Amino acid sequence: MRIILIGYGVVGQNLTRIFINRRAELFNNYGFRPRVIAVVDRGGAAVNPKGLDLERLLLSKREKGTVAADSKFGKPGASAIEMIESLEAEAVVEASPTNIKDGEPALSYIKAAFRTGKHVVTSNKGPLALAMPVLTELAEHNRVYFRFSGSVGAGTPFLEFAKRCLFGDRIIFIRGILNGTTNFILTEMVERGVSFEQALKKAQDLGYAEADPSMDIDGFDAACKLVILANWVMGKKVTLKDVSIQGIRNITRNDIESAEKEGFTVKLIGSIGDKLEVKPTKISKEEPLAVGGTFNAVTFVSEFAGEQTLIGRGAGGVETASAILRDLLDIKQKLAARVWPE
Amino acid sequence: MKIVMKFGGTSVTGRENVQRVASLITSNVKLGHKVVAVISALDGVTEKLLEAAELAEKRNRDFIKPFKQEILERHLNLASESLEITSVRKEVHEMITETVDELEKVLTGIIYVGELTPRSKDYILSFGERLSAPIIYGAVKCLGFEAKYLTGADAGIVTDSNFGEASPLMNVTEHQIKARLLPLLEKNVIPIVTGFIAATQEGVITTLGRGGSDYTATIIGASIEADEVWIWTDVDGLMTADPKIVPKAKTIPEISFEEALEMAVFGAKAMHPRALEPIMDKQTTVKIKNIFNPTAPGTMLVREMRIKPGTTVKAVTLLRDAGVITLSGASMIGTPGTAAKVFDVLGKNGINVLMISQGASEANISIAIRRRVLDRAVNALEMALLGRGLIREITAEDDVCIISAVGAGMKNTPGIASRIFTAVARKGINVRMIAQGSSELNISFVVKEADAKAAVQAIHDEFRLDEV
Repeated sequence: MRIILIGYGVVGQNLTRIFINRRAELFNNYGFRPRVIAVVDRGGAAVNPKGLDLERLLLSKREKGTVAADSKFGKPGASAIEMIESLEAEAVVEASPTNIKDGEPALSYIKAAFRTGKHVVTSNKGPLALAMPVLTELAEHNRVYFRFSGSVGAGTPFLEFAKRCLFGDRIIFIRGILNGTTNFILTEMVERGVSFEQALKKAQDLGYAEADPSMDIDGFDAACKLVILANWVMGKKVTLKDVSIQGIRNITRNDIESAEKEGFTVKLIGSIGDKLEVKPTKISKEEPLAVGGTFNAVTFVSEFAGEQTLIGRGAGGVETASAILRDLLDIKQKLAARVWPE
Repeated sequence: MKIVMKFGGTSVTGRENVQRVASLITSNVKLGHKVVAVISALDGVTEKLLEAAELAEKRNRDFIKPFKQEILERHLNLASESLEITSVRKEVHEMITETVDELEKVLTGIIYVGELTPRSKDYILSFGERLSAPIIYGAVKCLGFEAKYLTGADAGIVTDSNFGEASPLMNVTEHQIKARLLPLLEKNVIPIVTGFIAATQEGVITTLGRGGSDYTATIIGASIEADEVWIWTDVDGLMTADPKIVPKAKTIPEISFEEALEMAVFGAKAMHPRALEPIMDKQTTVKIKNIFNPTAPGTMLVREMRIKPGTTVKAVTLLRDAGVITLSGASMIGTPGTAAKVFDVLGKNGINVLMISQGASEANISIAIRRRVLDRAVNALEMALLGRGLIREITAEDDVCIISAVGAGMKNTPGIASRIFTAVARKGINVRMIAQGSSELNISFVVKEADAKAAVQAIHDEFRLDEV
């Protein structure tokens, strides 16, 4: 499978490391032979239609800051759109930074890939939260696969669990902790008795939270994931503007302590029922959802199977890369199934 | 005798050539033959038109004026130089000016719409022939003969609407061409017809795609039941090998349609197989002749031919830029349907297979395809077929070419393959893959690109093709 990789940050680099370290296993067990034919980062692109040397790619990124610095295959200044439109490839992996204002430039990259008949795997929440119905329709229209497991729960398969394991059942309600950073902050406030500001500072020191933490603590990240779940699992045609969002910025020690006294704890909960909502919520400490640290947890309430909760790490470069790999293998097997009907 | 003569792009470029074409047409008419001439666009004009069409699609306005001027001047100048009678020159000048004005309008339209459909592309490409044929028409008139200029559609060719590669509705076409051209020939008027272009039943211009003007010539030849179709080109005919590789290569005097088809498929600059279709079941013969050496006999293509004893291999062709894919896996042995899956995947990805070989052990299948689709083919096969246990490994080689020994006399003659491969082996060349169709018209094999010339030369020497 020839792959164009857009964005070469932590996720992209981890994906290429998996390709290197698991080469034999991927081939022997899945018949999967990935060929990364182009990588685009801020500095430009590296291109080789026969497949790039991944070790060399990592080295060039580490030492020179961009894949475009490669003396033989580098193309400084080359744009992602140009690469997607001009190169022949089977799949585009879109792992550029998230933008929840207009989803760009990732949205344009994904559309260009569809237009030129390429399957797309992304971990980018921006385009999904803003235009998921658009993208799924375009993928269908162009007869290509569109996969985005890494966008919700990173390596934890929330999306596939709901879609496949509860196949045939009807999911009536979803609620969960969809953001690890805020969960860490709230857990710190409970367990160490610190203030919101102190907990946030610690999260930033540990690298869990960004310098501008708004995306996490104001609930946008969780809301994006909620939109993706609502579309994919429950078939609702919704976007970010349909979610009522309240973050944890105003949670005080007082709020935490009064909840504690009643045997409750405060979590940033996203829920999909009649409406979509993200807000700090008191939940019983006995609930399976009451997970601590940076964990994510989602409870699916279905008509026949009842309540099921899936818990896992919700972020991280390796975890997200593993989700992308899962999606690529899924596409490969879907294509093979067209030739080998069961 | 009824003869259709087709003149290629290089034969109509330049004053001398225009006059040469006119005299070739008229001298045969003087001999009492009925001649229909089919004319290609001037050398390089079709490419220029394609370029212009693409610029127009990108909504580039600036190129139109200089482009129009260039096309106009090139054809007007050629007409001025070639046509010595003032009234004829004036008539042809008017035809050219009018046609170029139309071209300008079409291109402007495309700039406004910003879209180049296959239909409008055919329209634009048609201008090459519509500008060159009037000049030949004028040159024939200047020699004192009655002539009539016709587009392919005027002549009666009706096609489907598969723009870019239209196919004639042969019965309608035959009926119309008979009705329109035969009366002209009766009255000793020489029809000068544009090659390459035709029209749908609604009159929308189409092009015949691969096969081009040769195709026009054979369509007309078949329709008027011509005795011969002469393809005038710039070489002496079909050669025993590419003279750039084998300097001693000779012109082949006579060859069957089937052999010519094999040669065309495998890289010889013969006629495109499509162009032979219309005359396959007619009594028409085709001659490939050199316009710069018109007295040379050229190559005659005949429907059926007697095989002279002792002639086996007739020509060696070379198809460069090929690639080989090998699929292997012990589980393929005795598993029905494996090959079907392989070709299904290739077909769905639009990949044309040039050669196939599978050993009786069934443990591997090799496929030769064109190099530019090699990556696509390998990746499509890997995605669809690997990981199911049946096919364990898919490998590709991208530095190979296909060599074919062609000749109807190979049939039922034992020992040909042995001679071919012994000759190649003697040069120390490794053969990567072999295939022989059961028609026994050709034996094809794959070698590394670097060994190509030596292998062609070795076979040419072995069968003494320079002494035929």
